[in-house]
Amino acid sequence: MSKTVYLLLPAFLVVLGVGLIPTISLINYSVQTPFAEVEKFVGLENFRKVFVDTRVIDAFQRNIIFSALALAIEIPFGIGLALILYEKGKLNTLISMIITIPVLIPPITIGLLWRLMARENGTLRNLMNFLGLYYDPYRVPEQAFGTIVAMDVWHWTALICLVVSAGLAGMDKSPVLSAKTEGATRWQIFRHIELPALSFPLVFVSLLRLIDTLKIYDEATVLTMGGPGQTTEFLSLYVKKTAIDQFIVGYGAALSLIYNLTVLLLAWLLLIVMTKGKGVV
Amino acid sequence: MGVNIKTIIRYFLMVFVTLAFLFPVWNMISASFSSKLAVEEGRLLIPDGFLGNWERALSGSWAEGLINSLIITVTSVVFTLLISFPAAYVISRYHFMADKHIFFWFLATRMAPAAALVLPYLVIFRAVGLWDTIPGVVIAYFGFNIPLAVWLFTSFMSVIPKEIDNQAFIDGYSLWAYFRKIFIPLCMPAIGVVSFFTWFFSWSDMFFASVLTSFQAKPLNALLLVTLGRVGYGVEYGLASAAGVITIIPGLVLLYWAKTYLSKGFTFGRI
Repeated sequence: MSKTVYLLLPAFLVVLGVGLIPTISLINYSVQTPFAEVEKFVGLENFRKVFVDTRVIDAFQRNIIFSALALAIEIPFGIGLALILYEKGKLNTLISMIITIPVLIPPITIGLLWRLMARENGTLRNLMNFLGLYYDPYRVPEQAFGTIVAMDVWHWTALICLVVSAGLAGMDKSPVLSAKTEGATRWQIFRHIELPALSFPLVFVSLLRLIDTLKIYDEATVLTMGGPGQTTEFLSLYVKKTAIDQFIVGYGAALSLIYNLTVLLLAWLLLIVMTKGKGVV
Repeated sequence: MGVNIKTIIRYFLMVFVTLAFLFPVWNMISASFSSKLAVEEGRLLIPDGFLGNWERALSGSWAEGLINSLIITVTSVVFTLLISFPAAYVISRYHFMADKHIFFWFLATRMAPAAALVLPYLVIFRAVGLWDTIPGVVIAYFGFNIPLAVWLFTSFMSVIPKEIDNQAFIDGYSLWAYFRKIFIPLCMPAIGVVSFFTWFFSWSDMFFASVLTSFQAKPLNALLLVTLGRVGYGVEYGLASAAGVITIIPGLVLLYWAKTYLSKGFTFGRI
């Protein structure tokens, strides 16, 4: 044991360097006003400002609504697709391949794909106009928000479908078969046999998606840049504008820390789910 | 009745899903092969075969961006493998009092929002001369690559019986010889999966790349963001689409292979 433990050292040092040191610097900046005209120690003043900043509060609410909507659509949709595609066949394999394509596309390109469709003369806009609907996500805030939700659903439903499929594949088939012979309906089988067996993967993937939707940046930036106005400005966009573009380091650091802690809390919940009854590794 | 209504609905849904997922991608491919006028007027169902976007996307600063992206991703994969493989071996072989804490720490680093960590990276990298360099970007990516790699390797290795190690050491293998002749060949599937995900997350990132580089080390995704941000001057969608197509090619090529492992990579090998 003694010597081999040193093999752990490089990974340990790297995670220390890229994880812990930046966090400590953030804490250090957050109680000061570094790089400002007057650099001084301000205590918890920066944190107080975060909680009274209306743009932060708006962005946070927006993030919550966005996560709730995206998950509420993606999860049933993903489960439905997994159940439809459950029976093996060439056609089903092909369709599951096609819906998996977005998962392998970089987020920035997802934003580009949707912007190409939502822009002036874009296909989505033309289609909506053809159907007699007014659609302009660069003027109507609700439509901008809706388009981002649709984009997220398009991007990630396949992941939920894949996770649920993996769960279904690992399931014991005999209860389903005996329920079928006793004349249970499809819904009864799903509700009383499959859904309980899928609870672990579903809770897991929901938490994962919740964390990811809280971190949304690339797609939203490319599609709407937070606009129109600030109506699609998510937390990450505001943090980036404040801390990097305007380079207000003290306040930006306090904001980053609070943002990070929110996500960390969810990551901690994720760890509890992951290790439930299974040990760590 | 040969065909029932359920089957019809089912096929209709399948066609709809297929179109909804394929059309946006086709729209971009088509835009990359279309002239500026056709793109602006939205005539994109069939491209007009204009190649100017591709000529520009494969030369000058765009070619440099692509080369930077390739160097960054390959370097990330190599170093992530070298650092995480031995660490995962130790974790899978010995139990620590604190392994739960180590894992939480790793998970926290992996899950931390990029927007919340990029400020100290920017300040520190500028101070030590790593800003706008390829090593700087690779180091920033370690934050999410290494925790995931260690985790995936560990869950794979803990299935390999420890008796194999012991027998090899009794037979007189050194640790290095054991790794080279027995353990690494056993772990090849895991090495493939970890390489893929390290490559994928490094290739996909735009946030770190756009903040931590400016001219020298700017990868493709960061260039793409700059192009798409020029709203006042009219965005060159054709050129952006050509670059966009480049960003999706590797994923599409590996789609069939990667699909099997996708749920693993996104769930730390838990599902």
